[in-house]
Amino acid sequence: MIYQISVPAVADVEEIRVLEWHGDLGHRFNQGDLIVELETHKAIVEVRAGQPGVLRKILSEAGKWQGIGLPLALLSDDDDEALPDANQATTDLLVDFEIT
Amino acid sequence: MSGEIQEATERMFFREAIMRAVGEEMARNDRILVLGQDVGAFGGSYREFDGLFAKFGASRVRDMPVAEAAMVGVGVGAAAAGYRPLVSITYMDFMMLGFDPLINYGAKLRYKTGGRLTAPVVVKTTSGAKGQGVAHSQCIEAWLMSVPGLKVVAPATAGDAYGMMKAALREDGPVVFVDHKRLFPIAGEVPVAETIIPFGLAKIRRVGTDLTITTHSFMNRVALEAAELLRADGISAEIIDLRSLAPLDIDTIAHSVRRTGALLTLEEGQVTCGVGVEVIARVQEALGPISAVRVGALPAPVSSNPVLEPACLPDASRVVMAAQNLIRQRRVPAWSKSNR
Amino acid sequence: MLIRAFEEALAARKDHGFQLLSSGEEAVAVGLCSTLDDDDQLLTGGRSIGPALARGIEPNRVMAELLGKSSGTNRGKGGRGHLADPAQGFFGAHAVVGGNISIAAGVALSKQMSASNGIVAILFGDGAFGAGALHETLNIASIWQLPLLFVCNNNQLSVSTPRTAALAPKNLSDIGAAFGMPSQTIDGMDIDVVAKAAREAAEYVRAGRGPAFIETVSFRFASHSTNARETRSRAELVEIRAKCPIVRQKAALAAAGILSPAMEADLNREVSEIVAEALAFADASEYPSTAEVLTDVW
Repeated sequence: MIYQISVPAVADVEEIRVLEWHGDLGHRFNQGDLIVELETHKAIVEVRAGQPGVLRKILSEAGKWQGIGLPLALLSDDDDEALPDANQATTDLLVDFEIT
Repeated sequence: MSGEIQEATERMFFREAIMRAVGEEMARNDRILVLGQDVGAFGGSYREFDGLFAKFGASRVRDMPVAEAAMVGVGVGAAAAGYRPLVSITYMDFMMLGFDPLINYGAKLRYKTGGRLTAPVVVKTTSGAKGQGVAHSQCIEAWLMSVPGLKVVAPATAGDAYGMMKAALREDGPVVFVDHKRLFPIAGEVPVAETIIPFGLAKIRRVGTDLTITTHSFMNRVALEAAELLRADGISAEIIDLRSLAPLDIDTIAHSVRRTGALLTLEEGQVTCGVGVEVIARVQEALGPISAVRVGALPAPVSSNPVLEPACLPDASRVVMAAQNLIRQRRVPAWSKSNR
Repeated sequence: MLIRAFEEALAARKDHGFQLLSSGEEAVAVGLCSTLDDDDQLLTGGRSIGPALARGIEPNRVMAELLGKSSGTNRGKGGRGHLADPAQGFFGAHAVVGGNISIAAGVALSKQMSASNGIVAILFGDGAFGAGALHETLNIASIWQLPLLFVCNNNQLSVSTPRTAALAPKNLSDIGAAFGMPSQTIDGMDIDVVAKAAREAAEYVRAGRGPAFIETVSFRFASHSTNARETRSRAELVEIRAKCPIVRQKAALAAAGILSPAMEADLNREVSEIVAEALAFADASEYPSTAEVLTDVW
């Protein structure tokens, strides 16, 4: 199954800057692993995997900006699943996020 | 003529624009200091001074106790004696405590000494309502606009915050730089090249034909929302961001009102003796009688109550109603008939 | 002597304006200024004429300023409440009670940051002692060890309010001690006492050890200002005038064989000439033109 990660709805935040992806394409994240750090106007948001997944496509590279609720990346259960043409998935990856 | 050269820009948070401006100016001029609460290692309440303490040290970036009268006084005195302090007052409400040194001494210093002394101090302060209660929500920039010798600016975008903070730190007299709590989450494009935006220049944010809306600071957003709603109603609103309150760019506004025939002023503060009534009076001095209306907070303190705060503040629907009434009731001055 | 004669001549004029006079308090200004150098700056409150003259500002230009002429120190635009000549070490007077105190700390900060040899002295009255600005500034000056000398000239009356009715501390200098700086209360009617205390305190401040506080207890001979009614009885005033610092100093110098009657006569003459010249200079000077209403605003 193909999943997407989107920018979490952090209170008082309209858009974020992607700070750092913590894995290259093809990297398998285990539950609890840090996937990406996002910067808000006042804090850093750590997005962690709530389920395992392989990073397949980065839609917002480090340094790029993205709005709340908009997609950041596509992941899949297995690394050989075909990616959809449109850069979207209907299922959201389970994630936990922490504001530091 | 098409093909305007687009200068290279970088997207950044409002606070980063301020940080960049102050950092650049501090590197360029070692007389610039930052004084305030939580400006040192903490980097400022909004992280707008992040990194400055590490880069420039405790002598130039100084935390102060909660004592706004003395903070401003020390800043003004150091300015009079040759330094260029930026005094950070976290809440505009508490600027009032510093009015004596800023206004009675700082703004009058050049005049009262016959030009011998002047106080190049920037008082940077954050205005606006955001659920923090009656004494932590005020927009009182209108009170300061009438002080001879004091300049007042209120940038609404990251780009303007950058360019105008640089300009502020190069002024030879006291400046109040007013930002807003609700501007900090908003990112914007800032020129990559070093840029200074002179005071006294308003900016047209949206071109329109049926009425002119003048506004400043966070209310720019409310004006833009209202303009979209008005468009659906067939009304084309031109929005002018004042940016600079003292000096005020009446030429740009008068030019616009001459075309549109109607003026709506929008501010988050009180309309009584507010920014808007000054804009209207000056535009009338330039053009003669015009159709005008002021929109601002209701005449009540702005409490933190989740129902009462938004009820008190201007929102897009109030602006739309006021605009619709204005258009309906406007008189058409003789000089505009040929333009319509 | 100059201060006394100058102010008397000024007060004798019909157009004297709104003035705060230092008669009786001359020892404070003179004693303090005797220890200030070229690099130092003096700031005061509204009772500025005595201190300005003691600091060495040209009497001609002071008189011109007081009478509103553009040849004055402030081009006629400040008047007594804002007399200033920073190039001569008189950073300025400010008419808001207590309003110059935090300003002085800012000037002291600039001295500290530019590693200047100079110190800053701020002269204020017991009337300013209750102001928050003083307490805030004592704190900041102490925390930052600013080169600032606080001189509280306690003439024991704030217009009509006796200091005992307005101010809680037993000695006003107690406040300096509370903020951790050397503090003393001294006789403000004795030039030598003031000069000695000022020199000690100034040395401490010059050594970079932080601020110091001196309270000078004095008496003013006249009412608070040319606008204010006198609150003391004739008998009280006679007693007060008997403490005149000038008479006292003259007596001490005469007793020490330093001041002869001939010298005293010379000094009187000199002072009269200076004052006469100042008046003549001011009277011969022009008022600013009305166009100057709008100059030096921005």
